Amino acid sequence: MKGYSGGLLRINLSERKVSREDISEEMQLDFLGGRGFAVKLLWDEVRRVDPFSEENKVIFSTGPLTGQAIPNSGKMVIASKSPLTGGYGDGNIGTMASLHLRKAGYDVLVIEGKSEEPCYLIIEDDKVSILNAQTLWGKSTFEVQDILEEKHGKNIGILLIGKGGENLVRFATVISQKGRAGGRPGIGAVIGSKKLKAVVIKGSGTIPNFDNNKLKELAKKGYSEIKEKKSYDFWIRQGTMQAVDWCNENACLPTYNFREGVFDFYKELNGETLERIKIGRRGCPMCNMQCGNIVNDWNNRPSELDYENVGMLGSNLGMKDLRQVAVLNRMADELGLDTISLGSCLGFAMEASERGLIPEKIGWGDFQKIQNLIVDTANQEGLGKVISQGVRAASEVVGKDSYRWAMHVKGLEISAYNCHVNPAMALSYATCPVGAAHKDAWIIGWEISTDRFSYGKEKVEKLIELQRVRGGILECLTICRLPFVELDFGYHKIPEYMEAITGNRFDWDDSCKKIGDRVYNLIRCYWIRENSQFNRKWDYPPDRWFDEPQSQGKLKGITLDREKYNQMLSWYYELRGWNQNGIPTEETLINIGLRKVFQEMMNQNG
Amino acid sequence: MAEFRFLGYLSEIAGAQIRQIPLEKPTRLRDILAPPFPEKNIIFLIDQKVGNLDSIIEDNNSVVIMPILSGG
Repeated sequence: MKGYSGGLLRINLSERKVSREDISEEMQLDFLGGRGFAVKLLWDEVRRVDPFSEENKVIFSTGPLTGQAIPNSGKMVIASKSPLTGGYGDGNIGTMASLHLRKAGYDVLVIEGKSEEPCYLIIEDDKVSILNAQTLWGKSTFEVQDILEEKHGKNIGILLIGKGGENLVRFATVISQKGRAGGRPGIGAVIGSKKLKAVVIKGSGTIPNFDNNKLKELAKKGYSEIKEKKSYDFWIRQGTMQAVDWCNENACLPTYNFREGVFDFYKELNGETLERIKIGRRGCPMCNMQCGNIVNDWNNRPSELDYENVGMLGSNLGMKDLRQVAVLNRMADELGLDTISLGSCLGFAMEASERGLIPEKIGWGDFQKIQNLIVDTANQEGLGKVISQGVRAASEVVGKDSYRWAMHVKGLEISAYNCHVNPAMALSYATCPVGAAHKDAWIIGWEISTDRFSYGKEKVEKLIELQRVRGGILECLTICRLPFVELDFGYHKIPEYMEAITGNRFDWDDSCKKIGDRVYNLIRCYWIRENSQFNRKWDYPPDRWFDEPQSQGKLKGITLDREKYNQMLSWYYELRGWNQNGIPTEETLINIGLRKVFQEMMNQNG
Repeated sequence: MAEFRFLGYLSEIAGAQIRQIPLEKPTRLRDILAPPFPEKNIIFLIDQKVGNLDSIIEDNNSVVIMPILSGG
């Protein structure tokens, strides 16, 4: 089909074998790209394996909008069976590698097997080399980015892991361009287990589109429209950092390991403080509303900040200085650790220390000890080794009632929104297909704009609608959600782009429902096939939100209502066509063309 | 005195982060804010309850007006 490069590049590191396969039109129509391709490949090829075994695979996957000269199309999805959760894991990353992969003639790159020695890949159109990376192993992602740029050229696509990935930290991520990160559920560790340090991509071709002139016209209009939005100038100055004030105002700023939703020192971390120390912007290719805010950190080195890393490494740890938070953020990027999971694991360790459950003393806001613990985490030493396995596993080591305040769902740490009084957002975290990520359905804004205290069925319906769009279609097209959800850049643009790119009509509502639901159901089936103990309890947020109210702020004393949450979850299953254990029914799967999936899921799971 | 707090880009449209305005009689929010004030994708909280531009504001109300964000 037009608009696709059409190729899947498969590299087996054990056999040092490289092959190119065609992606069928059926696959393009049924799964669209990005997350859709990734879950289909993992379902077909990665069954009941140890995530660190040779049999696990890493999928770098793009969609028909990726790398096109249209707004916000610079992303790719990186997926694998997650070592952090044991289920389907993915994340998206904005990187030059997305463009270059497409220009090299591929929509998907699959890495399988394991190298005996550290290696890196260079992909130059149809020429692929597996090179020795012994001298790169152990180096930071920033250092290796410079070395590879020096050797292979600037403005090429480079995807890297740091020490975290090399040492199999279960929330190690993939880094690109000194601050772009993706693959939260430990995809960096899977890559590390394969002894792969980096992937370098240089593509020189073009993407075969149906109507490039039309696309150019639409793109020009799109970029101008974004710039004319009323909130554009403010966005350029603060980006997602404006959420610090917003979350504190709404008592959902993660504070002291999600114990509180307001932070006395939030103004030291907010967008205005950022503006005072900001020195530049970075972001994804093809974007004219780049959200990476560059500041000079406490050590006078550049660090790329956004809301998530400031929420999780700032207020969640009791940190009161943005330039110190920037140091922690830069350390995470250099080591290739996910900032959200890292912030949650550090917060968990600090609370365990405060409660006397571990011998180590590490107080809230202790800048030096936090830095030491981050290094120990990447090196898997001491307390760092305990938290390097993620907060779920750490709570099993720490014991007592620590599982109640280990802030995760399905093993993936919760991102930076406290949900003591946001039942729909709590359900969004609990049903997100990779564990507790916010990107699939950030319903909290809509929820606060309607009635944050209610538990009605309309909230569940809204959640599914958002999941279909954001977790379903946008992740398959691999286009950034921010212009649509932050600047009100209408979704009607997408069918226009798709028609110019593929030449086929793209029905938005129908695609959201059919493709979005197919992808969501297949991911759910993957979890169930891979985890025989999967049940309803896996779709619950942590006990803290039900049992321990915040002690400060306007929502003091309020918690989630367990019985009412349970009712919402039942409605969710009913609307999804799943049974009351969260398992898709045979009828549901048949209706979306996944008949064979049901049988295999039940055989493996039963 | 009614208090109005504006978050994000709305503080620039309103010209301040906080404004305190004496209201002699209950007044529609729309009539207090300088037009054209954005209406779409905005959260209006009046004493913590969800409102809109047609909500009636009284002299002792606390009003928070903020955009709907999408998160990081």
